[in-house]
Amino acid sequence: MNGSLYKHMIKAQAKTIVSYSVGSAFYIALIAAIYPSLADSEAIKNYLQQLPDQLLKVFNITGMGNLLEFIAGEYYGLLFILIGSIYCITAANQLMARPIDRGSMAYLLATPNSRRTIAFTQALVLLTGLAAIVVSTTAAGFAADAWLVTDDALDRERFLEINVVGFLLFFAISGYSFFFSAMANDEKRALSLSGGGTVLFYSFDLIGKLTEKAEWLRYGSIFAAFEPGNIAQGQVEWLPVCLLLLAIGAIGYTAGIGFFAKRDLPL
Amino acid sequence: MIELQQLTKVFPNGKGIFDVTLTVRQGEVFGFLGPNGAGKSTTIRHLLGFLKPTKGRASINGFDCWRESVRVQASVGYLPGEIAFPEGMTGMELLDLLAGMRRMNTTRHRDELIERLQLDVRLPIRKMSKGTKQKVGLVAALMHEPDVIILDEPTSGLDPLMQQTFIDLIREEKQKGKTIFLSSHIFPEIERTCDRVAIMKDGRLMAVNDIHELQSMQRKLFDVILAREEDVARLLASPLEIIRHAGRRVCIAVQGNYDAFIHELAQCKVQSLDIHAQSLEDIFMHYYDRRGDER
Repeated sequence: MNGSLYKHMIKAQAKTIVSYSVGSAFYIALIAAIYPSLADSEAIKNYLQQLPDQLLKVFNITGMGNLLEFIAGEYYGLLFILIGSIYCITAANQLMARPIDRGSMAYLLATPNSRRTIAFTQALVLLTGLAAIVVSTTAAGFAADAWLVTDDALDRERFLEINVVGFLLFFAISGYSFFFSAMANDEKRALSLSGGGTVLFYSFDLIGKLTEKAEWLRYGSIFAAFEPGNIAQGQVEWLPVCLLLLAIGAIGYTAGIGFFAKRDLPL
Repeated sequence: MIELQQLTKVFPNGKGIFDVTLTVRQGEVFGFLGPNGAGKSTTIRHLLGFLKPTKGRASINGFDCWRESVRVQASVGYLPGEIAFPEGMTGMELLDLLAGMRRMNTTRHRDELIERLQLDVRLPIRKMSKGTKQKVGLVAALMHEPDVIILDEPTSGLDPLMQQTFIDLIREEKQKGKTIFLSSHIFPEIERTCDRVAIMKDGRLMAVNDIHELQSMQRKLFDVILAREEDVARLLASPLEIIRHAGRRVCIAVQGNYDAFIHELAQCKVQSLDIHAQSLEDIFMHYYDRRGDER
C-alpha cells in the first residue's frame, strides 16, 4: 500500500462516502422510528396478510413481528442493497477504470510504486468506503434502537449478522466491479459490465422468488446469498454464505490486481 | 542510459512499432521525431513500462522497463503527451501527492521550478489553461531531479516565452549530466537542445542523425528584395538555386552553401531579407523519401 495515495484518494472520495453513509444511517433510523406506530396497527397486519407471498418474498419482508424483522424487510430488503451496489459499482469505476481511460493513471504509475501497490491501494480505498457505509448503518441501527424505539428491543446479534452478510455481499459485488474496472480500457465499458452484471444478478433473484418454476435461477445470483428477513428469523446458516461471498470478493480483487499488473495500458 | 533492442509491439490491428533499436547515451539530449501515429508515444510508453513488448526489450540504466519498472521509475521523470490529471485537485495538491508517492523529502527544486515557470499552483487544475497544465506536468516530471527525463511533446501549449524558458531548463538539466529523451515537432527547440535526433515513420525507425548533420541537410529559403533590377540578372546567372523570382523579389534556396550565398549577395544591393526554414520533419521526409525513390 502507498500511504500518500491512500490518504489522497480517501480525501477525494470523502464526499461520496460521507453522503452514502449519512443517507443510509438516516434512512435506517427513519424506518426504526416509524416502527412503533405501525407495530400495533391491525390494518397493516391485515394488509400484509392479503399480499401474495411471492411479493413479500421479493421485498424480503418476512413479517413485522419485531423491530429487527421490520428493519430487515423495509430497509435491508431493498434500499440497502441498492445503495451498497451503486456505491460499489461507481467507486470501483472511479478508482480504476476512469484514471485508465482518461490517462491520469500515468502520473501514478510513473512514480516508483509497482502496479500491484497502486491497484491494492485503490482497492483498499474502495473497501474503506464500503466499511464506512455499513458501519455507520449498523451504528445508526443500534442508536435508533437505544433512543427511538424504547418498547421493542433489537435482537443485536442477528442485526449484526445481517450487517456482516450485507458487507460481504458488497465485498463480492465490489470485487467483480473492481475486476472489470481494472481490465477495461474504457470507463463506459467497465460501468456497463459491472452494472449490467449486478442488474442481471438482481433480476435472477427476483424472478426466482416470483415464480417457483424459475427458482433455480436464484442459484446463479449473488443476491440469493443475502436474505435479511430469514437472518432476522434465525433461519439462515450464515457462515457458509459468508465464506462464499468472501471467496467471490477475494477472487475478484486478486484477479483484478493480478491482471492490472500484467496488462498493456493505453496511457 | 536508455537502450532499445529490437523493440517490437504489434497491436491487434497490425499497427505498432517494429524492430526499434537505439541507444541514448548518458548525458545526451535525444530528440524523437515523426508524424502523428508514427509510434513515438508507443515507444515512450514502453520506456515507462506501460506496455509489454511483443519482442525485444527496453531498458534504462540497465533495468528492464517492463520487469523492473519500479527501479526504472525511481530514476525517471516523465511528462505524458496527453494532459490528463487526476480530478478535483489544485496544482499543489497534485505535486504533493506525487512527491508523497515518491517519498521525496525536499521541495527545494520543486519550488524553484514553480518560480521559474511562474506557475500559480493554488489554482484547481480543471480551471487551468492548457499551457498552465503543461507547466504542472513539467514540474511533476522534474521536481525529484531524475537522472533520466522523458518528455512527450513538452512544449505543446506553451507560449513562445515559456518555450524559451523550457529550452533553458533543458539545457541546465543537460549541464547537470541528465539524460533527456524528448519527442517534438518544433525545429528550433530540437535544434537548440538536442545532440542527436531519431525519426520514426509507420512504426519503424528511419534514421538516427547527429543534429549537425541535420542542420546541413536543412534547406533554407531566403526571400530577398533587391534594390536594383540588374542584380536580379546577376543572381540568376550565379550558381545559387533560384526557386522563383518576380520583379525585384528573388527566392533563393540554400542548403549548406551559406558562404557562396553570402558572397553572391554581397555584390548586390539588398533591400530586405526574409528566411523560411524547413521544418525538421519536412527535411527528414524530404530526404528519406528522395533516398527511397533513388533505390
